[in-house]
Parts: sequence; C-alpha cells; structure tokens
Amino acid sequence: MNVVFAVKQYISKMIEDSGPGMKVLLMDKETTGIVSMVYTQSEILQKEVYLFERLDSQNREVMKHLKAICFLRPTKENVDYLIQELRRPKYSVYFIYFSNVISKSDVKSLAEADEQEVVTEVQEFYGDYIAVNPHLFSLNILGCCQGRNWDPAQLSRTTQGLTALLLSLKKCPMIRYQLSSEAAKRLAECVKQVITKEYELFEFRRTEVPPLLLVLDRCDDTVTPLLDQWTYQAMVHELLGINNNRIDLSRVPGISKDLREVVLSAENDEFYANNMYLNFAEIGSNIKNLMEDFQKKKQKEQQKLESIADMKAFVENYPQFKKMSGTVSKHVTVVGELSRLVSERNLLEVSEVEQELACQNDHSSALQNVKRLLQNPRVTELDAARLVMLYALHYERHSSNSLPGLMVDLRNKGVSEKYRKLVSAVVEYGGKRVRGSDLFSPKDAVAITKQFLKGLKGVENVYTQHQPFLHETLDHLIKGKLKETQYPYLGPSTLRDRPQDIIVFVIGGATYEEALTVYNLNRTTPGVRIVLGGTTVHNTKSFLEEVLASGLHGRSKEGSQVTARSASRR
Amino acid sequence: MASLDDPGEVREGFLCPLCLKDLQSFYQLQSHYEEEHSGEDRDVRGQIKSLVQKAKKAKNRLLKREGDDRAESGTQGYESFSYGGVDPYMWEPQELGAMRSHLSNFKKHRAARIDHYVVEVNKLIIRLEKLTAFDRTNAESAKIRAIEKSVVPWVNDQDVPFCPDCGNKFGIRNRRHHCRLCGSIMCKKCMEFISLPLANKLTSASKDSLSTHTSPSHSPTSVHGSRRGSISSMSSVSSVLDEKDDDRIRCCMHCKDTLLKREQQIDEKEHTPDVVKLYEKLRLYMEKVDQKAPEYVRMATSLNAGETTYSLEHANDLRVQVQKAYELIDALSKKILTLGLNQDPPPHPNTLRLQRMVRYSATLFVQEKLLGLMSLPTKEQFEELKKKRKQEMEKKMILERQAALESQRRLTERQSDLASRATNGEVASFRRGPAPLRKAEGWLPLSGGQGHSEDSDPLLQQIHNITSFIRQAKAAGRTDEMRTLQENLRQLQDEYDQQQTEKAIELSRRQAEEEDLQREQLQMLQEREWEREREQFQATSLHTRTRSLDFQEVRPFQLEPGREPRTHLAYAPDPGSPPVQSSTVPKTLSPSSAGEPIRVWSGPPALSQEFFPQSTMSQQNEVPALNPFDEEDLSSPTEGTGGSPAAEASFGPSAQIPKEYNPFEEEEEEEAVAGNPFTTPDGPVSNPFDEKDEHHPQRLSPPVPGNPFEEHTSTNPFEMDSDSGPEAEEPIEEELLLQQIDNIKAYIFDAKQCGRLDEVEVLTENLRELKRTLAKQKGGTD
Repeated sequence: MNVVFAVKQYISKMIEDSGPGMKVLLMDKETTGIVSMVYTQSEILQKEVYLFERLDSQNREVMKHLKAICFLRPTKENVDYLIQELRRPKYSVYFIYFSNVISKSDVKSLAEADEQEVVTEVQEFYGDYIAVNPHLFSLNILGCCQGRNWDPAQLSRTTQGLTALLLSLKKCPMIRYQLSSEAAKRLAECVKQVITKEYELFEFRRTEVPPLLLVLDRCDDTVTPLLDQWTYQAMVHELLGINNNRIDLSRVPGISKDLREVVLSAENDEFYANNMYLNFAEIGSNIKNLMEDFQKKKQKEQQKLESIADMKAFVENYPQFKKMSGTVSKHVTVVGELSRLVSERNLLEVSEVEQELACQNDHSSALQNVKRLLQNPRVTELDAARLVMLYALHYERHSSNSLPGLMVDLRNKGVSEKYRKLVSAVVEYGGKRVRGSDLFSPKDAVAITKQFLKGLKGVENVYTQHQPFLHETLDHLIKGKLKETQYPYLGPSTLRDRPQDIIVFVIGGATYEEALTVYNLNRTTPGVRIVLGGTTVHNTKSFLEEVLASGLHGRSKEGSQVTARSASRR
Repeated sequence: MASLDDPGEVREGFLCPLCLKDLQSFYQLQSHYEEEHSGEDRDVRGQIKSLVQKAKKAKNRLLKREGDDRAESGTQGYESFSYGGVDPYMWEPQELGAMRSHLSNFKKHRAARIDHYVVEVNKLIIRLEKLTAFDRTNAESAKIRAIEKSVVPWVNDQDVPFCPDCGNKFGIRNRRHHCRLCGSIMCKKCMEFISLPLANKLTSASKDSLSTHTSPSHSPTSVHGSRRGSISSMSSVSSVLDEKDDDRIRCCMHCKDTLLKREQQIDEKEHTPDVVKLYEKLRLYMEKVDQKAPEYVRMATSLNAGETTYSLEHANDLRVQVQKAYELIDALSKKILTLGLNQDPPPHPNTLRLQRMVRYSATLFVQEKLLGLMSLPTKEQFEELKKKRKQEMEKKMILERQAALESQRRLTERQSDLASRATNGEVASFRRGPAPLRKAEGWLPLSGGQGHSEDSDPLLQQIHNITSFIRQAKAAGRTDEMRTLQENLRQLQDEYDQQQTEKAIELSRRQAEEEDLQREQLQMLQEREWEREREQFQATSLHTRTRSLDFQEVRPFQLEPGREPRTHLAYAPDPGSPPVQSSTVPKTLSPSSAGEPIRVWSGPPALSQEFFPQSTMSQQNEVPALNPFDEEDLSSPTEGTGGSPAAEASFGPSAQIPKEYNPFEEEEEEEAVAGNPFTTPDGPVSNPFDEKDEHHPQRLSPPVPGNPFEEHTSTNPFEMDSDSGPEAEEPIEEELLLQQIDNIKAYIFDAKQCGRLDEVEVLTENLRELKRTLAKQKGGTD
C-alpha cells in the first residue's frame, strides 16, 4: 500500500531491465514530476542514468552510445513524438514504458515507425500519479470541475490516475462514493468501467476482505483547506507552498543563491521524515538540537588542522559534514521563514479565531473576534477573507447572521474584490445546501457528548483543535458504521466485514491536514491501511483557486443580496 | 517467568535469561523477552535433543542480532509513537505493481513492416553489386548502358512527362534521367550519384551481413542532410551531354536515401565513440573497487585493532591496488569530462552534460568509497598495537586467573554450604538456584564487551572477524557478500568443531582418570569446609558476613567473563557450551556449588529465605520450564551439574553423561571447547582446568607462575608471521597525502561550483597545509 514505494519499484525495474551502459531517461512533463518524487538525481546517477530529457525537447542530439528509457503518459502527443523519434532514432536502443493503458492502434503505429528495430521493450507500468508520501498521492490537477460537474478532460485523467494507483498497488476494490456529489458518482462509475473493461489486468490474488475505494468530494468539507496549519509539512505548504516536494524560497528576504529552491523529501531527508508531522513548537526545539549537533561537528571541522591525522579525519568526514550542513541550512531557513511569516501576519491570533470558527458554536464570541481581527492592520487580505469565509460557512443559516456587516468590514479594510467575491463563491461551493453531511453540529449523541466534554475540559492546544471531517468519515468506515444512505456502494455487492485496505480519493483536492489524520489513523488502528489521494493537495490559496476555477462565483445573486441587505439596514 | 513480573527482585540488572543481554529497564527486558524469545519456550521445555537445535539457533541469532538492532534504532523516529497500528513508512514492502507488455504485439506489427523494408534495401544492394561488378572506366558507354538496363528495366520515357519529384516538365532543356537502381525517371536537378567507393562499401558490408542475417543491423541511422547536398551540387558541374559515368552511378534520391541510411548503419556498427571506450574502462575499475575495497577495509580494521589475522604487507598491496583503481577512475572520468572540449565546432551541449554527469557520478563514487578507506598503521604503530593488544590480553588473563581463583575458593565454600543444606533437606530447591544466576553474572559483560575480540585461538579469531564482517556487510546491505561470508563462517566453524572434538575427547579421557582422585579429595574438603562453615555460621552474624561476601563474590564473576563471553562471541548463547568444564570440573567441584547463591544473594538471615529471591528468579529459566536437567539435579545433588564457576543452566546433558559420550556430547563439546581459549592454542597438555583442579585441594593457592595463559599468547603461531609486515610504509603515506591533496582540490572545485565561498577558504587553507606537510616530509626523507 506504500505508493512511493510502488512508483519507485516501477522506475527501478525499468532501469534494471535496460542492463548496463550509459542511459538517458526520456520523459514528458508529467512523468518528470512522477519520477522526481521518488528518485533523487544522485540516486539515479548511480544506476548509470546520466541524462534526463523531455521527449518533446527539440534540442536533443544524436547519441547512439546511449540507451533510452522512455517513461511516458500514453497521450496522443507523446505517441506522435515517439513515432517521430523512432523514425529517426537518436539512441541505440529504446525501452518504452507507458504509465497507463495504451491502445492497440497506438502500439501498431509505433511498431510501424520502428523500421530500424531499435525498440526492445514496450510495457505498461502504472506509475501514473504523484506519490507524495507513502500514504498520500496526488494528480496535480487544479480546477477539476466546471460548476458541479467534471471537466471531461480532467475526469479522464483522474480516472486514469486512480486506476493506475489501483493497478500499482494490485487492488481491485469495491467502490463507495459520496451520494451528495454528482462528481463523485461519475468518477466512481468511470473507475468501475475501466475495471470492467480491463478485467484481465485487475485479476489479483483475492484477499479475504476486498479493498475499498471511497470517493469523496471536497465540497463536503470546505473548512479544512481554509485553516492555518501548525504541523511542519502542512504549515510549509500553507505558508510557502510545496510543489512536487519543492519549495520556492526565492521571495524570502536575504535568501542565498543555493537556497532559492529547496527540496523537502521524507525519502532522503531524515530530519524532515522525523519532523514532518510534528507541530511548530516541537520542530523549533528539534531544529535547535540539529543546530547544536551541527555546531559541535562544525567546530571540530573548522579547527585548524594541525596533524596529518586531523586532515585525514577532515577529508573522511567532509562529505558527511557537507550533507549535514546542507540539511541544517535548509531547515533553519525554512523554519526561520515560517516563524517570520507567523509573526508578520499575526497568525497565532488569526489561527485561534479560525479554530474557534471551525470547532465551536459560540456565535457572538466568534463574530466579535472576527470583527476585532478585521480591524487589525497586520492581518493580511487573505487571512481576513478566510476568516469571513469560515464565518459564512459556519453561521450560514444562523438567525443573527451578520455576514453583510463583515463584508462591509472587508471592503473597508481594502480587501480586493476577488477575495470578497470568493466569500460567496466558497459558500456556494461548500455551503449547507451542497453538503451531504453536517459539518459543524454533529447529530449522533456520542459526538455531541464528546463535543460537550471537550468544551468542559478546555482544549490542550487551541491551534490544533480542528479534526478534519475526513477523520469522522474514516472512523465510521473502519468501524463499519458509515451510512450507506450517504455513501452507497457502486453495484449490488456490499462489504460485510470491516474494511482493511482503504483508498480514499477526494475530488477537488486533499490537504496535508487530512494526510496527517490518515497517517495517525494508520498508526492507531491495527489491521487497517489507508491511502489518501486527491486531484491535488491544497493549501488555502490553491483551494481558493480551485473554487474560482469551478466557476461558482455566485456573483450576481450573492452580490445583490449583500447590497440589498446593507441597503435595508440603512 | 512469573518472577519477572516483580522488578524488585532482579537485582543484578535486567538480564535476559536466555541471551543474557543487559537491558536498561524491566519493561525493555520484558518486551525484549517477548520479541526475541517468545517462540523459544518450547525449546527449553523440550527434549534434550532440542538443545542442540537451540544452540544453533542461538548462534544464528547472535550473528544476526547486530544488524537487527541497528535497523531498529534507525527507525526509532517512527516507532516511538506507535499505538498498535502501523506507520505508513513501516508498511511492509509490497510486490511490484501490475504491468502489461505490448512487446509481442509490437513485434508482430513491426515484423510485417520490416520485412518489406529489408527486401527493398537488399534489392538495391544486389543491383548495386551488379552495376559495379564490371570495369566501368574502361567500358564503352553504350555497353555500360546496356548492362545498366539489364539490371533493372527502365521506365518508358513517354510515361513520365513531369519529374515526379519536383514536378518540372521534361523537354529538350530538361532531359530525363533514369535511376540505375530502380529504373525510375527524374530530372537532372533531382538526380543523385553513388560514388564507387561508397558502392563498394555498401556491397561488401552487405555480403557479410546478408549472409548472417537478413534484416538490417540493430544500430540504426540518423540525420544526414549535408552529404546529399554536396553531392548534388557537384553533379551540376558535369556536362549535360556526357552520359558516361566512370566512377559513379546515377540514381534517384529515394534510392540514395535508403542507401545512405544503410551506410550509416554500417558505420555505426563498427564505430565506438571515445566516450564509450573510456566509460567502459571506468566501469571496469569501479567494479574492481567494489570487489576489493570491502576486503581491504576488513583487513585494515583487523590490523588497526592489532590483530594478526592478516599481514600488513598484503593489506598494503591491496591498498595500493585499490588506490590505483581510484586514481584511474578519477583520471578516466576527468578525461571523459574534457573530451572534445577543444574541438571545433564544440560538442553539443548535451554531450557535455553527459560527460559532466559521468564525471559527477564518478566523483560521488570516489567520495563515497574512497573516504571509507581507513589508513593502515605504520610498521612501528603496528608493533605497538600488537604489544598493546598483548598487554590487554595478559591483563585479561590475570583477571581471569583471579576470577578462577576466586571461584575456586567459592566453590569450596559452597561445597560446605551444600553439605549443610543437605542436612536441612532443602537441597532440591536450592540446587536450581545457582545455575541461571551465575549464568547471568558470567554473561554480564558479554553484551558490553562484544566489541573487543580477544579470542586467542586463530580459528576463533577468524570466526569472530567473520561474524563482525557479516554484521558490517549486513549494515551495508551487501547481501551477496554476506552470503559468502556466512558460508565462510560455516566452514570455519565446522573445521573448528572438528578440531575441538578431537581435543575434547582426549581431554575428557584424561580428566576422567583424574576424576576419581579428585573426588576423594573433594569429599574430604567438603567435610572440612562444612565444619568450618558451621563454626563461622554460629560465631558471626550472618547478615554482615553474607553482605561482605556478596561483594567479593559477585565481582569475580563479573570479571570472569573475560573467559566465558568469548565463547559466545563466536558461538552465541550456547547452552551446552562449556562441556569441558562440565565433564571434568563440575563433577568434582560442584557438590559445593549450590552454596554459592547464598552469599551472592545476601539478605534475610534464615537460609531458607535467602534462597527465595534467587530461586524464583531462576524459575524464569529452569523451574517452570521443566528443564530436563532438573531431574538430574535432583537425583545427583552431589554431582552438582550447575556448580562449576562458568557452568550454565543448560550444560546438564554433558555433565550427566560425560563419560558415556552421549550423542549430543560431541557436538556440545566441540562448541564448548571452542569457547575455551585456554585449551585451544597449546592443546590438551596445558589445559588450565587440569591445573585448576590440581590446585583446588590446596584451596586458594595462588596461580602457578607457569600459567598456560601466558604461554599460549606468546606461542601463538599467528603472531609471528605478521612481524614481517609493513615494507612499503613511507611511500604509502606520501601517496595518501597526494591523494588527499587531490581530494581536497576536488572539493574546492565542487565548493566553488556551489558558490560556497567560505568553504572554499577553509579548504584552500587545508590544501596549503597538506602541501606544506608533504614538502616537509619529502625534505625529511630525502
């Protein structure tokens, strides 16, 4: 069930199968990302892969002494490029791997182009998704829906990605989907279709309890992607943005040249692997330890080398020292930037109110706090907007809803129209009307009691009170209590036992907070393995773009409403 | 195991009763026990037969444990928060995902296409051969034309009013030309020529390839625009009317194109670019390093520890070899890096990138591997190391001797205790106590002392080395190497076992003879002791006495392991391990042995209570397990199997039937003797146990000066040959310096490229320093 490992295994197999000799890896835009998530350059260099080329790059030279490993998505353009390539081959031998199912006719046209018999392998290796963490994958699709329905191109890409994931993990699942979302149903059906069509591929050894694919829609929980995050990975994504494990630090003031872009990968950065799920305070102390360790080493390294033995030791330790210095400077820079942003944007205070909006039901106090923060000049446009969004989502139908007043406050604060419009768009995207389940006030007695007790005890950490809605869903699913009226099975058969291997897919994007939740569920629930996926992995900004791209502006309606209300007040 | 539940009783540290690993806390011990030994209870309970299996198992476990431990500690970050589920990082690796091959389908389609293509090419080549088969230069043009026409039927002029390639109308000024290869018509502009040398090349190459395989070679062609252009421009010079081609053959551009492709294939087949040649060499040396470096590291570690398993000279040779390989790798990759840099036009950026990457990976390789190479001690250093090691050994010997003495003394005391207890009728319950307890003590340093391999027997040493190599190999993830090593180890152990069996048989025979004598002496001793003991008992307060004794007695046992643990370094917690002792010493000495625990576990005044803690503790191992030896223990209390100082709970079987050579004895004995460093080097003659036994009656007599321990260290045959060790000493050191200078240079280069200026500074400083040292050294030697 480890998705990183699954992709890595595919790549390793490709390289192994091509035998010894200098090699070039030919990829397209997407597969470049897929490979880069699981292999580092030096790792792949050791396997004699020396060049990485894009198939569509025109500037490739004839190098007959290289073997070419092609890892490509089976798109029309790629097939065309490949046909051209094979007509005039630039490398001695071609090992062709498609990341998904390729049609027979495409194979035929490729075969006919290979007049010089340079192709020695044509295979499908289903590494057709971005493996972020062992239990988290993404398809890097931003804006998958038009209104409430799928963008057809993205639907097919998502279906491909999801089926590739199933194939790479060798799972032929039963499928459940969120009834309230048309998109979820569509996707579930498409996946089912592929499974039926390619039934030969999906014939795996049967497990006692069949795996389960649960298809959800982001619109059921719009709160999670709007919250500030305090665990390392999620926080870095929220404040700096993670793109295929890369973090752009070029906007950090006074950044040095080689830290403009850094890579955070749990696969080969031990510090990151150990700290990605810890909260900001813990990371602070861990990074201090790391620094101290390093400083100890550094002192040793930099002291004058007086004897030959000293020098020997220096040379022997140098690479390790260098590696460590790289890690240290990277994390110190990242954490430093995070803490700068936290204080600059007054995030502690903002986050506290966000959490209150998300987890508690005290309308007047919430409203007061939001209003107070809107007056604070240090609160940024984005933060102000999302506070109002959270308010709008939670107290959408509250009797004394004062959203119009907050909208006025927003405008007075000078928040751009784009963000103000997004408030209503978010409500339309994930408001009460759309949601299939109750996000804010739990219905069953146990949950109510739990919340009540929580209120009595007070919370341990005000910044991390929020539990993504996904937690509840999965918890019910694991216990076999997830209602079929809300999450029906596709097809007649249902799962009688509790599920063991679960794949959750969120249309419209998952978040790192949810990834953490799934990670913790994995660790705390014996016998259950859960993999989370999404069309992308969101932070607040990208989520708002997702909402924008869906085209649900609600401009006319909501806009007029606001003006009407404010008018009536006067 | 019930007694384990009360941590208060475990006073000697948290020792695992089975493997005697020292654990930090009760909880760790418990979890350790559950993890490591949960499956083994059955073995303990089982028949004597299973003991042998267990010994083997334990041996294997010891060999593996180091690696496992490391793996555990490496992943602690993830595991520390585990609540019962599994961290996704810890998910067991799944098999390779699904895949589907289209190759057969692909080949089917391709074959159809290729056949057609191949036929076309071959047809052209055959015609070309016919056209060049006669002497063109001397033949008349009419005759040439006739031959040409016979090769391929020419297309009728009237059928083609326009040039099929460019579309120009044919007429008086624009004459028709025929392709001699396919007979088609084109205009002069579109006409191409095949020169005779090219034709010859094509036909001669094809003869070979056609005879071998019908399809074109695997190495394909590439772009070739320029050549065509130049030839066609040349053709315009030739006179319009001159139809006679002395040294070339007219053809259409399609045929020419096909033939040129063919030519390129031929070229590529024969040509290997320089990069490839260099690269192949580079890989060759890399492989060589991969083979030799681990071997060298093994040697260097051993030598640096002052061991004499390998000769310094040999290690030096190997070092030179490995360093040579590194130099070559470095030089070759540098050569690859600069390949074609001075050419005009400069190579394609991708070529340069490739070369850079090859160089980079070679640097990575060198950095990773070379820097792991430790240096060798100089000749003097090595001598010193050896001396130090010898001293250590001697020290250890002395300690051991003391321990042995101490234990002898205790034994005698115990004997009397036993006697006294025997009268109390408590023997049975006491008897179980001492064995596991002592075992625990005897083992204590084992876990800590594993690092020092002081086995004095060369074979043992070797075995130990190999186990540590296996550990290293495992840590480095070289499974194949590990396999060979383990194979090695097995062979060594077999040999050793054999050797030891013979010795042991002889030994036990002799010891059996002595035994009768000793037993008599013992009996007397026992009585005397008992009397003395009783007097003391009545005279002094038991509390104080036991407490003070406590210290005296515990210590020696902790020191003693210097002898015992070594066995286990090589042989793992081998339950039947010291049968030499069991076959000789225990039987004579052991009657007193049961007394020992009383003092060790000092405390309550009443004897019966005194035994409480430790008998419960021993239960972990023995009592509840219904150990087969129990029976024997009970039935032969005076023979006290568990009594010998180094004896273990489980060596019963050999003690039980020492003289009968029971089927298990042999095996156990082999291993047991193996564990005893005293007996091995100088054979049965100077068996320390014999001596000990002889001293025993005199009680507390100091060790005989001519102690075998010392002898054997000095007479170790392996020590000698290493003296002839280092010869190529000085130059190596210099070489190393040079190498390091090179390395630092490489770093500087690297650092410069990364723009780390501060680093560059530090490095340059170092470089200067190194150079100075080198100069100094040179000045000194010259």
